[in-house]
Amino acid sequence: MQFQKEVEIAVPLEKVWNFIWDVDRFIACVPGCREAKTLEAGKRYSATMVEKVGPFKVEFPTIIEVLERDELRRIKARASGADNKIGSRMKIELDVNLREQGGKTVLGFIAGVDILGKLAALGHGIIKRKADQVLDEFAQAVKKRLEGDSQDA
Amino acid sequence: MSRPMLRHSDAQTIEVSFTLNGRLQEIEVEPHELLLNVIRERLGLTGVKLSCDVQVCGACTLLVDGRPVSACTTLAFEVRGRSVLTIEGLAEDGKLHPLQDAFIEHGGFQCGFCTPGMILAAKALLDENPNPTEDELKHFMHGNICRCTGYKKIIESIMAAAKLMRERA
Amino acid sequence: MLRRFRLEEPESVQEAADLLSRYGDGAKVYAGGTELLLAMKEGLVHYERLINVKQLKGLNEVKLDDGTVSIGALCTHHQLETAPLLKERLPALVELEKNVANVRVRQAGTIGGNLCFAEPHADPGTLLLALGATLVAQRSSSRREIASADFFIDAYETCLAADEVLSEIRIPAPAAKSGIAYLKFGYLERPSVGVAIALTLNGGISDAKIAVGCAGPAPKRVAEAEAMLTGKSIEEASRNLASAGQAAGRAAQAISDLHGAQDYKEHIVGVLLKRAFQRAVG
Repeated sequence: MQFQKEVEIAVPLEKVWNFIWDVDRFIACVPGCREAKTLEAGKRYSATMVEKVGPFKVEFPTIIEVLERDELRRIKARASGADNKIGSRMKIELDVNLREQGGKTVLGFIAGVDILGKLAALGHGIIKRKADQVLDEFAQAVKKRLEGDSQDA
Repeated sequence: MSRPMLRHSDAQTIEVSFTLNGRLQEIEVEPHELLLNVIRERLGLTGVKLSCDVQVCGACTLLVDGRPVSACTTLAFEVRGRSVLTIEGLAEDGKLHPLQDAFIEHGGFQCGFCTPGMILAAKALLDENPNPTEDELKHFMHGNICRCTGYKKIIESIMAAAKLMRERA
Repeated sequence: MLRRFRLEEPESVQEAADLLSRYGDGAKVYAGGTELLLAMKEGLVHYERLINVKQLKGLNEVKLDDGTVSIGALCTHHQLETAPLLKERLPALVELEKNVANVRVRQAGTIGGNLCFAEPHADPGTLLLALGATLVAQRSSSRREIASADFFIDAYETCLAADEVLSEIRIPAPAAKSGIAYLKFGYLERPSVGVAIALTLNGGISDAKIAVGCAGPAPKRVAEAEAMLTGKSIEEASRNLASAGQAAGRAAQAISDLHGAQDYKEHIVGVLLKRAFQRAVG
């Protein structure tokens, strides 16, 4: 499943870029993401993703690897995790890009999400909607955090 | 004879007293045991089959108080105080039930895997509606799937049995 | 094989609600088990306690309550398809219940369980929406009536609180001259698209309720489509059916999956709406 999101943030590009690497605060914007840890600065991180669809709950201990880094422009990363209780695996290929637009920053990301195993039995449609929801909330949370911070500053 | 099971010492157990093929049966089950497993593994009646495991195919059909249920998705304790009929209980004193005769005579089975469930479901149909139209038969039997016969012979068998049973009644 | 759990068999709805309150996520209401046991067998959910509600008294009756049809949440689909009161007053519901899943699921499955599990590909919710039904939920010391339009939140999600037990479905008496129809379409095990329509007919169409289900995450009423039929003559309404069908298709929130592509499902919604309308006006 492919998703594409873009969000305009009224904050300079460098600030957004730095925010991404402030792992704890960045991860806090992902709904259901907890316990973010830096395993190797700039390269590997871990977190736990918890999501719920009705009565179905999943907990994916996730490893996030940074594959490419184009300073102030682009990040390619991969996140993968498995929930053994429910016999499911998750893999996300993430392409994050930033560009300046009229004094604001446009943060865009393309996410390729794959869910394998029993969870897929729930129905492709439901997972797609959930993933879409999570990514939407994530984009909005990042925007709010940064714009909120700049107001306090 | 039901084989005793090793149990976790503080496992909850439920006394299940029920009629199985006309005879009183008394067993002890844990809440999570499925009827299919109890009938097959503990009571040794393997006519009921595990097939899709999601109550869609009908190979696990059993009659509980004359009504068809999916044994794969029924908890065993649910038959307490009830009567259960398996395919093994259909023939009486060695004499086959008209449905069984009809399936043999009209070629209503090939590999036979769906057949116990088919016949029990057909019995429930005819008990409820001794003179079904073909549409009524198809509607009732819709949840019993056969991969071999293409259903034509199954329908013929059931209709033939129905006719015979009406004549005898 | 299922993982072990404890069975609780409370004697009253209050006791059941208390148990749910006490054990939270670790307990679940268990009736026919036709959805719950499947999810548990798949390992998608696990509960330490199942709260059997089948032994609770008074929850499996179909009766008339001053014109309103009252259906106990524990009524099985089989009970509903054979209930004389429903055959007389709500034949469209009887027709729907006759075609739920298969004969074995209809034997064990309850309407309450069907509604509370809120599987997207289910039938009853859609028609209950078009009938303007209300659902009664009970907890330890209180009871509330929920409009069906507020009941379904999302796939597998209703507005019920964790300690609420659905006890009753109440369907107001349809108008003296009504046309009610539910049609569904699908070729997989569960329906892919369902459309319900309830019309009040007096010369023209004085009221129209339209609901779509199965194609999207939860069944929905479609106000936009209803407006195109309400207050119109039958001829005028018929001319609006194509647009109403499109509105209903959009409202369904269909997603492309194994059941079909999004535009395909939206198209089928339109087809079913047209046919349901024709059946409803007789």
